[in-house]
Amino acid sequence: MSLTQLSAFEVAHKVRTGEVKAAEFAQAALEQIRAVDGVSGSLNPGELDPIEESKVHAFIQVTQDKAIEQAEKVDQKIANGDEPGLLAGVPLSVKDIFCVEGTRTTAASKIIANFVPPYTATAVQRLVDAGAIVLGKVNLDEFTFGSSNESSAFQPSTSNPWNTEYVPGGSSGGSAASVAAQEVALSLGTDTGGSIRQPAAFCGVVGLKPSYGRVSRLGLIAFASSLDCPGPLSRNVRDSALMLQVMAGNDPKDSTSSTLPVDDYLGALEQDVKGLRIGLSPDYEAVYYPDLESGELHSEPIQKGVREAVLRAAETLAKAGAEIVENVPMPNTRYGIPAYFVISRVEAASNLHRFDGVKYGYRTPEAVEDLNELYRRSRAEGFGLEPKLRILMGMYVSAAEHASSYYQKALKVRSMIRSDFEHAFDPQGAYRLDALLTSTTATTAFKRKAVYGNSVLMQYSDQMTVASNHAGVPALTMPGGLDENGLPIGIQLIGNDFREEMILRIGNAYEQLTADDAWRKVRPQVLQGEVRA
Amino acid sequence: MKDYEVIIGLETHIQLNTETKIFCSCKADSWEAEPNTNICPVCSGLPGVLPVLNAEAVHKGAILAAAMHAQINTKSYFDRKNYFYPDLPKGYQISQFDQPIGRGGYLDLPLENGETRRVRIHNLHLEEDAGKTKTERGVRLLDFNRCGVPLVEMVTEPDLRSGDEAAQYLIRLRQLLRWIGVSEADMERGHLRCDANVSIRERGTTVLNTKTEIKNVNSIDSVRQAIGEEAKRQIELVESGGKVESYTLDWDADRGKLTKMRSKETEADYRYFREPDLLPVVLSTEEIDAVIARLPELPLARRARFEQEYQLSAYDAEILTSERSLSDYYEAAVAAYAGEAKTAANWMMNDLSRLLNDLGKTADQLVLKPENLAEIISMVDKGKINAATGKSLLKKVEETGKSPSEIVDDEGLGLIADSDALRKQIEGILAGASAEVASFRAGKESLLGWFVGQVMRSSGGKADPKRTREILLELLNKE
Repeated sequence: MSLTQLSAFEVAHKVRTGEVKAAEFAQAALEQIRAVDGVSGSLNPGELDPIEESKVHAFIQVTQDKAIEQAEKVDQKIANGDEPGLLAGVPLSVKDIFCVEGTRTTAASKIIANFVPPYTATAVQRLVDAGAIVLGKVNLDEFTFGSSNESSAFQPSTSNPWNTEYVPGGSSGGSAASVAAQEVALSLGTDTGGSIRQPAAFCGVVGLKPSYGRVSRLGLIAFASSLDCPGPLSRNVRDSALMLQVMAGNDPKDSTSSTLPVDDYLGALEQDVKGLRIGLSPDYEAVYYPDLESGELHSEPIQKGVREAVLRAAETLAKAGAEIVENVPMPNTRYGIPAYFVISRVEAASNLHRFDGVKYGYRTPEAVEDLNELYRRSRAEGFGLEPKLRILMGMYVSAAEHASSYYQKALKVRSMIRSDFEHAFDPQGAYRLDALLTSTTATTAFKRKAVYGNSVLMQYSDQMTVASNHAGVPALTMPGGLDENGLPIGIQLIGNDFREEMILRIGNAYEQLTADDAWRKVRPQVLQGEVRA
Repeated sequence: MKDYEVIIGLETHIQLNTETKIFCSCKADSWEAEPNTNICPVCSGLPGVLPVLNAEAVHKGAILAAAMHAQINTKSYFDRKNYFYPDLPKGYQISQFDQPIGRGGYLDLPLENGETRRVRIHNLHLEEDAGKTKTERGVRLLDFNRCGVPLVEMVTEPDLRSGDEAAQYLIRLRQLLRWIGVSEADMERGHLRCDANVSIRERGTTVLNTKTEIKNVNSIDSVRQAIGEEAKRQIELVESGGKVESYTLDWDADRGKLTKMRSKETEADYRYFREPDLLPVVLSTEEIDAVIARLPELPLARRARFEQEYQLSAYDAEILTSERSLSDYYEAAVAAYAGEAKTAANWMMNDLSRLLNDLGKTADQLVLKPENLAEIISMVDKGKINAATGKSLLKKVEETGKSPSEIVDDEGLGLIADSDALRKQIEGILAGASAEVASFRAGKESLLGWFVGQVMRSSGGKADPKRTREILLELLNKE
């Protein structure tokens, strides 16, 4: 087995025991990136060679020298007999929305394309301190605004390693693709409405959105501050547990980060699922969307193969002793997207105010009459389509004359969604769930350009994921099969507040129970031809 | 002309004297610092950073709310006030909106006619300051040093009726802020800033007419003058058949003129919403009770008590309560002094005040302690030293740190009350002034004053005047 196929857990073990050097893992990752990634995303990609169409394009920037330096430091620690950390030598990619000191941090936007932060995000710092090797910054939808990666100002945007004609999902598309294509073992992503889980599902990897406040947001360029959650992407559940173990915990510099003690996530994986109550909800079997003219709510059942994967997983878990609780009502799930449209955009518009061409980032090169023209031109030229749409909508729904009919109402819907989960998880309630089992997405990955440009439709692909952002509860996605086109299906486990250990435990059990399933042997397109040991 | 009254409300911004800024660990005070040297990623609004609330700012805000008799809220929230301006690096100001730390309250103003004007407070909220912008040689320059300095915004109801009253309000507010120790309240340094809303109405009516807002009235004189000017303008306008429009006016203190900045037909929409990066500010009722319990006696209460307890005139009581440290000093001196409280007051008002002025110190910074002052006054009372020596002792104690009696002993400043020594000295003087002695004895008794003067001169002022006269008369009348 090649070094790049190993899990983070295995890498850290081999490095710690001295069997393989961290530097060798760094080199192997760099080679894999050279082999499958193609040109990195850039503002001016120019004419591309046709061969680039078969590449992953996960990275905006490969930080080779830093990676080698970090690996050597880990090796030095081991040579000195010092503790190298839980993630010693593990190749990691970082979504380019996290600030890393001295490394260009773009948010995939022209407006801060050349921003070099003077500080490092807490999550990244904790990973590096635990011995992880940062290979570089990976692509995303501009400012994380999207579900396909196509809105990135850095083109070519990332492809799906399973079929490069398809999108990897988004906004953590570069993260999911870099893990699926074995360029790295782990990636740090963010999830505001599903931005870790949807691309993880599309790319056939594991992704965890932790509880709001479990992982510090410091150094994460904010999208919607009340919903943003940094979290891990990996190729198996154990690796996400390992990565969360390192990142989780209070950060005094993030007032919203939780002071609750961090559970032993790896320890929790040792337990089975006997007696656990796992719920299925009919409200996760269809996507609801309003008619743009009448406002009436239409629904469409989720993709057949996706639904079957969820039921298959339920059966598997039931056979292992879990109790499946059917017909759990989650009636407000269908309002998750409209509420998200409003709340996230109000916060986003405000968070984007600081990009004004005055202090840093893009400023129009044109001569301007006055300050307002400087703002208008710099922002008009610096922001792409998605940020502009979100700013317009955010400004509109938070305007004094509209706030009560949109923003305040959306906040009410949000608390209703939250109460759905409270009922489902209430230990004295009717359902007493340990986890809710759903699909992660309504469909598998879609083709490039198939949805991009339709902001509404694109957003409705997040309906299965967004409710847990509203509620602040943790949710895990993991591969649950392949569809008829050979594209990965993601299934989701949603847990109660700060019960990451529970969904990781169930996810790990499911992974063990299905280890020998035929679909698990199928490899992503970009890895085919690779020799398997 | 109709009889008009002027209706004034003030919006004040008070800079809290915390150690650090409200959301980061930069120092709060940047006075005289080079531009953009007291900043960090948080207060300069770099992407990805988060605010962390300074507990000291909340505490001082609560103290101010308590001193204003406002209701302190057990739960208040920070909100974002969104607008674009280059001195606002995040593009929004973290402020409080509908659930601020303090609501209601009032400040009483003693008026010259003996009445008291109660000025009601609408609310008090905590917020961060913005930076400064200036234009130099056609280039716009920004200084972010002030970004993130903690402010309390305090808005009054339209309860003031003249520029003088508005000035009084600022004077009393400044006194209170320093008294309770939450702000240096130095208007020149922008610790206390003021905008004034002015309208007029016919006396006897209760309507509130269209108001104008005067920005940048940042000194007591400016407030008095600017409001006076604006009231005059509005009255003249209305009298000539015009109508007051909703303007924002800028006060140019150098030229003593108001200029129109912009009309305010449409209210700006700041699209307020809860700051998602901060948790609600929670104060338990125990914490609030403790703030109220620890609040010192406030200036007007203390003034009234001084009048009653120490039998001081209103004027004396006012002066002695102008600053908390001065009034504390006075009470300590009275406690250490056995004589009349009024005597101590006179010393404080004249000699100690002069010393404070000369040294540029506040009473609590003096080396000369209240007990020292009490001792000096007592020595004068008992005739151990004369009043002039007593006054000079204030400075000597302040400079040397020695006790007054120590200095009197060391420098031989005590009065010569010893009869033998004094008698010898007087005999010597009489012996050397036979002509004057003869004249006296011949009936020119007015010469006694001359003899006393000679004794005083030769003793360097230390002779006890009463005893000197007695001995002189005895010796001169001996024949």
